[in-house]
Amino acid sequence: MKIPYSLINQLVDIDVTAREYEEKMVFAGNAIESVTSVGEGITGVVVGRIVKIEKHGNSDHLLICKLDVGRGEPVQIITGADNVFEGALVPVALDGAVLAGGKKIKTSKMRGELSQGMLCAGEEIDVPEHLYPGAGVNGILILRDDAPLGSDIFDLIPLKDKVFDFEILANRPDCLSAVGIAKESAAVLGGAYHEPNVSVRTVGKDVREFVDVEVRDSDLAPRYIAAVIDDVRIAPSPMWLRKALNGAGLRSINNIVDITNYVMMETGHPMHAFDLSKVRSGEGAEKPRIIVRRAKDGESLTTLDGKERLLTHEMLVIADGERATGLAGIMGGEESEITYETKRVMFECAAFDRTSIRLTSRALGMRTDASGRFERGVAPETAMFAMLRACHLVNELDAGDVAAGMYDIYGKKQSVPTVHADCGNIRRIIGVEVSDEDIVRILRSLWFDVALEGGKLTVVPPAFRLDVDQEADLAEEVIRLYGYHHLHSTLPASAVSGKKSDRMKLRDTIRDFLTARGLSEILTFSFTNTDDLRKLNLAEDDTRLAALPIMNPLGEDTAVMRTTLVPHMLKALALNQSRRVGSASLYEISRVFETVKDGEARKDGELPFEREMLCVGMYGGGADFYTARELAELLLKLFGVEAEVKRITETYLHPGRAASLVVKASEIARIVTIGEIHPDVAEAFGVERGTYIAEIDIDALARHIAPQPKIAELPRYPAVERDVALALDMDAPLGEVTSEIKKACGKLLEDVRLFDVYRGAQLGGKKSAAFALKFRAADRTLTDDEASKLMDKLLKAVDNKFGAKLRM
Amino acid sequence: MSNPGISEQISSLVTEAREAASASKSLAELEGARVRYFGKKGMFTGLLRSLGAMPQEERPAAGQSVNQGREDAEAFFAAATENLKKKEREEKLFAETIDVTEPRGNNGIGSLHPVTIALRELVDLFVGMGYETVEGPEVEYDKYNFELLNQPKNHPARDAQDTFYIEENIVLRSHTSPVQARTMLARRPPIRIISAGRVYRADEFDATHSPVFHQLEGFYVDKNVTMSDLKGTLEVFAKRLFGENTKTRFRPSFFPFTEPSAEVDLTCPTCGGKGCRLCKNTGWIEMLGSGMVNPKVLELCGIDSSVYSGFAFGIGLDRVGMLRYAVPDMRWLFEGDVRMMRQFR
Repeated sequence: MKIPYSLINQLVDIDVTAREYEEKMVFAGNAIESVTSVGEGITGVVVGRIVKIEKHGNSDHLLICKLDVGRGEPVQIITGADNVFEGALVPVALDGAVLAGGKKIKTSKMRGELSQGMLCAGEEIDVPEHLYPGAGVNGILILRDDAPLGSDIFDLIPLKDKVFDFEILANRPDCLSAVGIAKESAAVLGGAYHEPNVSVRTVGKDVREFVDVEVRDSDLAPRYIAAVIDDVRIAPSPMWLRKALNGAGLRSINNIVDITNYVMMETGHPMHAFDLSKVRSGEGAEKPRIIVRRAKDGESLTTLDGKERLLTHEMLVIADGERATGLAGIMGGEESEITYETKRVMFECAAFDRTSIRLTSRALGMRTDASGRFERGVAPETAMFAMLRACHLVNELDAGDVAAGMYDIYGKKQSVPTVHADCGNIRRIIGVEVSDEDIVRILRSLWFDVALEGGKLTVVPPAFRLDVDQEADLAEEVIRLYGYHHLHSTLPASAVSGKKSDRMKLRDTIRDFLTARGLSEILTFSFTNTDDLRKLNLAEDDTRLAALPIMNPLGEDTAVMRTTLVPHMLKALALNQSRRVGSASLYEISRVFETVKDGEARKDGELPFEREMLCVGMYGGGADFYTARELAELLLKLFGVEAEVKRITETYLHPGRAASLVVKASEIARIVTIGEIHPDVAEAFGVERGTYIAEIDIDALARHIAPQPKIAELPRYPAVERDVALALDMDAPLGEVTSEIKKACGKLLEDVRLFDVYRGAQLGGKKSAAFALKFRAADRTLTDDEASKLMDKLLKAVDNKFGAKLRM
Repeated sequence: MSNPGISEQISSLVTEAREAASASKSLAELEGARVRYFGKKGMFTGLLRSLGAMPQEERPAAGQSVNQGREDAEAFFAAATENLKKKEREEKLFAETIDVTEPRGNNGIGSLHPVTIALRELVDLFVGMGYETVEGPEVEYDKYNFELLNQPKNHPARDAQDTFYIEENIVLRSHTSPVQARTMLARRPPIRIISAGRVYRADEFDATHSPVFHQLEGFYVDKNVTMSDLKGTLEVFAKRLFGENTKTRFRPSFFPFTEPSAEVDLTCPTCGGKGCRLCKNTGWIEMLGSGMVNPKVLELCGIDSSVYSGFAFGIGLDRVGMLRYAVPDMRWLFEGDVRMMRQFR
């Protein structure tokens, strides 16, 4: 909300510098986005009259102007502009002047002729067309008004000002106005507040002679005020009004429109002006009619921006005797717009229901300054003040004749709550000893009606404050004006011990492990899109394709919640590869969002199933399938989870290089999926071949964490060690062979370790696997004989199951 | 000694043996010499045998002298053996010398995301102050994200946070505060929790905004909790995270779920409050939002606001991370370039 400082100064006495003002306002809760200085730094520009113009001898486009700048001596200035003429009044930047953007002007020679300054265009002195007509021409600004020669240009065009851009908090719609800010300023600084003049002179006929106004749905329009201006004299607005609008970031259009915009900025009440000659009476009526009513379902209208809008019964329209012409509180109709021909105007100042405005504005995708204000709340009580102010300005600008009387359709009065509070409680909330008297003083400075009796407060906030209805609200008012810097620093007494959740500890352990193993953590967005999911080649019935859609996504590529971390990981790896990073090992711990759990689909109105996943991705640096598998295996070991490696197929993984780690206890619990990215998928994501992924289901891992077992005593008897080399079929899975060996030998086999695999031509299409075995009994020294029996047993077992033969 | 000849023989043999020991270049050579002098057919044995020719009465003394000489010579051999062994071990070890400076590739140490680093420090801090960590869903009911936090449907404050919707009543949580509501509905005060996690707002992705970011929420409800307690708590936070000299500044603000509300500024960690580009020359950085839990929120969540009060605060972890490491562009945090990620320690 931009408000010119000069306007604030008119409304409240301020005896501090602008800098101090800013500081005090901010620390009382009136955030300021920025302070801009209009025309700041522009100096040395005066009004001059062109006395004589000659052609420059050495140039076909330059002119030599002689000017009277009130110094007696004429000054000579060269200009390239061709809109100058003898007798014209122009802004003259003399030697030493500084223009917009810090441009310095010096006396110089141009093509051999002396130039003692510069004639200025509007933009060179920060004057826009809508502030001073003629400022926007291509050339020198020709002044329309007379002014003493040599006087400062800003005496004529009072541009210089500061503009405060207030960031108005959602609970303070009253501060979306100069009056609201001025009242705050008065409370913060203690200066006197001066109410804008609202006295009105009316002439002639009563408003009811000109227009019929009817509110049919007063639930959506609690108050509707209409006044009529007859014999309208459309004209440009005076300089003070143009300047105020310019400062507020609004354009000056004509006096009537400017008044409505100015009053909105000043009082916070949106106003609308209708050209009454365009408001139809409808059949059987003589006067123009204004009807405030709900739209009919399917009704349509064309708004001021020329678009046709389809309406519903939930929307409020302003209709004339024939049809809806405007969307109440959002945008007026095209037909009744004010033009230079307008002769009779109806001003509307109303309060509309904020929810209705919000829904309508959302539904139609229309946000206007007015709709934004109504959504945040406009107090019905203060609407009349705004209407009177507008009429006063019509008088002041002589923009027309204010007709006698007004329509003020105000059914259910705005209810203002009475807040009961306790000074002791207020002190307790903030923890600062503010006296009862200070509390009362502060609340009164904010226009609250306060009664104090024995520490008990009875408070009625002013009608413009829509945000105060409980004790805590009063506490906030007190502390923000008393000063947040008065808050003490205390710590609550601590009698409880804190606690980090098990899940958080689990994540910490995983992260520390992965850091030590050289992996870097990344975080990526939780959104994805169906295309990226499809690139994984998932089967049509794969539940990962059933991703939860977002109703209002930022874009198509972020339209659904991810069901897997893999696509983002592949993209991160691809990015590193495209930037020629030789190797990368990354991981992400994040949630995925599933719509099917245990075969049950999520129903509407239910939350999706959130599952925490760890996704590891790596390429280069010697990483291969076994690097990824080892990482996953060690991670499970870290939590005492015993798992087996199983070959699996997964559409996005290489068919011969994909596995899962399955918890022994239950065949279903696939905790880990590991593999090399399928070449087709790698291509789709732009990653190189030789990219590995491990996905770890952290929820499942957490469920399977084994409790710390009892400590086992160290062995007391010696072990018997044997090596065995087996000749096996090429495709015999060595993991399963190892399991079979363990199974065959039972608990006397302490350890089995594969130490060599050999695939050579001389083996006749077979491979040789060498295992080191360690046998031990807990209660005795194992004999060679016993060990040999165990060896026989295992050889028989692997022969039965895999056709394995002992290699001699 | 009656036979002076024999003692000369002994001493010359000892001298000879000593010389042979010192002259040996290797243990093998030394062993050869040892056999030559002290072996069964060695020279000392020969000398001893030659005593047979001596008169009987002279023999014992001469024999003693020979043995004495032999012992002396053997001691030399023992010392020489030790020396040679040491020398040979040294030579062997020298031969095993490797180039310890030879560069070998390794995958190096990994790294944590700055959001995780910030999270860990804050969790440690607040757990130490008696807070318990609690988590909640990221896809959340409107009820917990808004309604129970005093933002009924169509509340204008909802606009301030552009929210992603899944359905009319299901949103991507726009803050971690729904965990407050869930906790209050499940437990009685005193409640002292922190909750961290992902939150979502429909902001375009740029240098300072992200539609996905991370928050840490602190929440404390008990009897007699004051706004001064909030200030004290956040001062501890600021000093811990950004150093002992960090100052805090409270500014009044508005959040529907707190009343009174405050935004908290910290002295800029980059310039220490002197003013720099990062803090736009103000010396201050806007760090977190906080306030006293709105009594309406307590009541909505079934806690008697006439008995209990509380405070709440929320911190952007991504922002903390960016400040800590002076990361100028938020997008860098989500891109995953390993050369960036590895710099965070």
